[in-house]
Amino acid sequence: MKISLDWLGEHIDLTSYSAEDLDRLLTFSGIEVENIIMMPDKVIVAEIKTIDPHANADKLSVCMVDDGTKDLRQIVCGAQNFKIGDKVPLAVPGAKLGNGFSIKQSKLRGTESHGMLCSQSELGGNDDQGLWILPTEFKIGTPLNKIYPTIFDLEITPNRPDCLSHLGIARELSALSDKKLKGNPDYTLSETPQRIANKSEANILSPEKCSLYTTRIIRNVQVTESPHWLKTKIESIGLRSINNIVDITNYVMMEMGQPLHAFDFNTLEGGICVRPAKEGEKFTALDGLNYNLSTDDLVIADENKAIAIAGIMGGADTGITEKSQDVLLESAYFLSPSIRKSSRSLGLSTDSSYRFERGVDPSQIIGSSELATKLILELAGGKADKETLISNAYEDSLQSISLDPDKCRSVLGHNLKDQEMIEILEGLRLRKIEIRDNISDWEIPSYRRDLTRTADLHEEIARVYGIDNIPSLHAGWFAKSSEADHFFDFIENNSNELSSIGFYETRTIKLTSKLKIDDCVCTDNLNAIAIKNPLSDDLTHMRPGLIASLIDVAERNLHQGAEGLRFFETGTVFPGKETSEEAQHLAILISGPEQSSWIHPSPTPAGFFTLKGILERIIDKPIEFILADIKQENAAFIVNIAIDNKVIGRAAQIAPSRARQIDARHPIFVAELNLDLVFAERSQQVIYQELPKYPSIRRDIAMELPFSLPNREIEKVLREIDSSLLESFKLFDLFYDETGNRMDKNKKSIAYSLTYRNDARTLKSAEVDTEHEKILSELRTKLPIEFR
Amino acid sequence: MVEELENILKDATLAISNACTIDELDKLRLTFLGKKGIVTIIAAKMKDLGKEEKPAAGKALNKTRSVINDALEAKVLNIQEKEDKKIGENIDVTLPGNPLPRVGRHPISQMLSEAVNALRRMGFSLANGPEIETEWHCFDALNTPEDHPARNESDTFYFADGRLLRTHTSTVQIRTMQNNEPPVRIISPGAAYRRDEIDATHLSQFNQLEGLYVDKNVSLADLKGTLEYLLHSIFGKETRIRFRPHFFPFTEPSFEIDILLQAQGKQPKWIEVAGCGMVDPNVFLEVNKSRGDNNYSPDQVSGFAFGLGLERLAMIRWGISDIRLLIENDIRFLHQFA
Repeated sequence: MKISLDWLGEHIDLTSYSAEDLDRLLTFSGIEVENIIMMPDKVIVAEIKTIDPHANADKLSVCMVDDGTKDLRQIVCGAQNFKIGDKVPLAVPGAKLGNGFSIKQSKLRGTESHGMLCSQSELGGNDDQGLWILPTEFKIGTPLNKIYPTIFDLEITPNRPDCLSHLGIARELSALSDKKLKGNPDYTLSETPQRIANKSEANILSPEKCSLYTTRIIRNVQVTESPHWLKTKIESIGLRSINNIVDITNYVMMEMGQPLHAFDFNTLEGGICVRPAKEGEKFTALDGLNYNLSTDDLVIADENKAIAIAGIMGGADTGITEKSQDVLLESAYFLSPSIRKSSRSLGLSTDSSYRFERGVDPSQIIGSSELATKLILELAGGKADKETLISNAYEDSLQSISLDPDKCRSVLGHNLKDQEMIEILEGLRLRKIEIRDNISDWEIPSYRRDLTRTADLHEEIARVYGIDNIPSLHAGWFAKSSEADHFFDFIENNSNELSSIGFYETRTIKLTSKLKIDDCVCTDNLNAIAIKNPLSDDLTHMRPGLIASLIDVAERNLHQGAEGLRFFETGTVFPGKETSEEAQHLAILISGPEQSSWIHPSPTPAGFFTLKGILERIIDKPIEFILADIKQENAAFIVNIAIDNKVIGRAAQIAPSRARQIDARHPIFVAELNLDLVFAERSQQVIYQELPKYPSIRRDIAMELPFSLPNREIEKVLREIDSSLLESFKLFDLFYDETGNRMDKNKKSIAYSLTYRNDARTLKSAEVDTEHEKILSELRTKLPIEFR
Repeated sequence: MVEELENILKDATLAISNACTIDELDKLRLTFLGKKGIVTIIAAKMKDLGKEEKPAAGKALNKTRSVINDALEAKVLNIQEKEDKKIGENIDVTLPGNPLPRVGRHPISQMLSEAVNALRRMGFSLANGPEIETEWHCFDALNTPEDHPARNESDTFYFADGRLLRTHTSTVQIRTMQNNEPPVRIISPGAAYRRDEIDATHLSQFNQLEGLYVDKNVSLADLKGTLEYLLHSIFGKETRIRFRPHFFPFTEPSFEIDILLQAQGKQPKWIEVAGCGMVDPNVFLEVNKSRGDNNYSPDQVSGFAFGLGLERLAMIRWGISDIRLLIENDIRFLHQFA
């Protein structure tokens, strides 16, 4: 909302405050100052007298301008949009423009320029297309900041509708400063109108949505253009001037905060009523658009038709035009929820609906009508009917709230004196009714409907006292670590470990699409949860797994030229099952070679066993990989990852056809782990093992076995062998030949090295031979293998 | 034989002095002193010699062996010395190093980690809550009016069963108070969702860090001390911070916190980084209603709550101008935070 400083000055004397002071006062009272539009000093109205081309520059021209002094002034100018006789803003040397740019006398391509002609944007406005052509009636030499008042653009929080007017802001500033309001302007007419309550002329059929409706008829008015003062006043705060009657209603709204509407009385047929719209009722509003109303919308209607959408916008056919003679002025109290709902469902928000939605001051409804009537009589002539017709006279009882100063001090954490609190509340125009046992009762003004509880008074006191004046406390107690703390640390450790071995951590958004879900090859995606009201086709579901996001990231990076891809992401997924609707997963994607260097110009591209090695590193316990009997279109194969037979995740190679779609030059391997499960399986404390005192003896085994026999079978036999001497075993060679030239293609050769040790003494070669022979025969018995 | 040995010694001395590498010397050692070396073969003939010849021959043999041996060792030392010297001379230390991976965490994670560390130093523990929430947890319990615009389908994502994607992490305040007796002092990082079109300053899903402290006599002064400490930890001791009164349904009084951003070559500017306030009594009442007790009586306890936008913090900290960079995960971007 725009507020004019000059206009505020009618209510409160702010001459001793600079714009910066006011900015600070408002900001620290909770009113956000979005922008201050202020004409700089030393910018004046000038008239273009001559325009000549610049001798040394095609795009510049040399102008002589009249600045109100005896001699013309020479200015070099780059704009094209002006002609002789135009009035334009002239910044003379010494002027400081908004961006810190100061004007000096200078030479441009050899020609002297004694100042600068300005565009609107150079003076804080929006328009940057050429010079700002000013209205011709402006007097040459007048400083622009005498014509255009300083404007504050304010953001008012929804709890403070009382600040949506000049009077409201003035009231607020008076509470925050030591300046008193200049006293209520005199709105009353010389001839006090008769107030006639509950006349049938305005029949309220929906009292729950409109608790007060007043009308006043002013006859024989002259609808004309507004006088200069009114026009510039409302234009300065960004409103468009229409005619004197409409401008007056807007002026009163910006002055008092009460939206008014003026109807052309002669277009109305019969008595007025406030009623719900009929289902499907058509209405053409002042904006020229047709609206389809429903029974939830409230309308003002005459006997035959709707004439306004209550509190939002009047009708196209009943508004004030130059032909209007008699005006019916509406000032009413429409209730917030109804207006809010209508405004939203119709997609129509106006200055009027904005104020009703937040709540207007019921005690100002008649006063606003009277101020408007007074102005209409002054500016458009005519004669006002003696009565203001009032329907459903609103009876507003003022609320009171009690304040316990001790409680307030405790909430603020500061020893504010009782008297300081009282002064703050009185400054805000709250009235102290009673004090008993130090607890005071305060009557709340009708326009402060946001104040309903003691906590609200604490807020007012904190706000006006200033949080800067409240000390900062540094105290607390020892905190217990929660399960969430341990889980957070667990994820941090995993993530740090992955980054340290070269994996980039990604963070993608958790919304995905049905199509993308097919890329989540490591999860069951049947129960993916759909959003009821998605914003776009590509974000329609909650992600059931992380792989789709990583494939997206891979694609983006492949397209910008990356070759080796190493990514991981940790985050919430939404499997959508009853048991685990949300889970924390970790996904890894690996493809292509590690970073090359001049020492290793062509490192090996990552393979499946690179991925497996990484998983073995980040998971504490031994993990098992079991080929899963799952087919997914986008996966070449899928593997279950298990700890002690419990599946904790899956790994897969992305189908080559899918990899080609994203222009991958190397196979892509992925894995996704359920971190909740991995966390539950994490190892407990490490216990130190004594270092061996006696040397070990190593024996190698080379065996030939069927190609289809998995390595796991060998390891199983070795692990289960009852041997007190076998300390460890390790695979060190694998050979097979798909062509069958060097070895039967149905066979493979695997070599293991076995380490023997006795913790109590040095082993003898002979006893190792015996033990080794025992192991060989065990292997031979249990597996279809031959030794080489 | 003595003569023969003298000739061998001459040959050996010459060959050794001509040798240039350790390899050549190793070969010479084999040639002369090895199992099948020249000297060894001659030594085998000793047994054929007469008794009177043996002492002289033996002496000559030992001498030959030890002289060759000494010469070999001397030469080895000599060559090693030369080679050792070369090491320092022949290396171009300006060639690039063999690179190890240099990767940092995602900037949002780095930001989060710092904030969590600072808050833990103050005695906050972590808490979690679901992202798919009930309307009650997200709005009703947080004193949000029935017809508040945030509840609209145009602003918030809903599911068919009436639940929604939480619009703020403040839901965890409610869940924590439902499940724990006062006092509580928790923080909760997590995702929040708004039905916003993605552009340079908006994401439909973003990350927040929520905080809640409820106890007897928690005051505005505690809130101020905590958040000042947190923001000074993140942005540096010198950073200027201001609390600006604002409005949120679930706190009273409410504040927004700004920090003074001093970008190079630009006018210093106040930028909003967090929202906070004293827990509204209505929130406590609503929690009590659902707990079925009065343990969070607004007359007995008070508390403060705050929420930080992690994207905003990261953008300010690193001067990132477009929020989308934070979800695109371009390596060229991520690499800068290593």
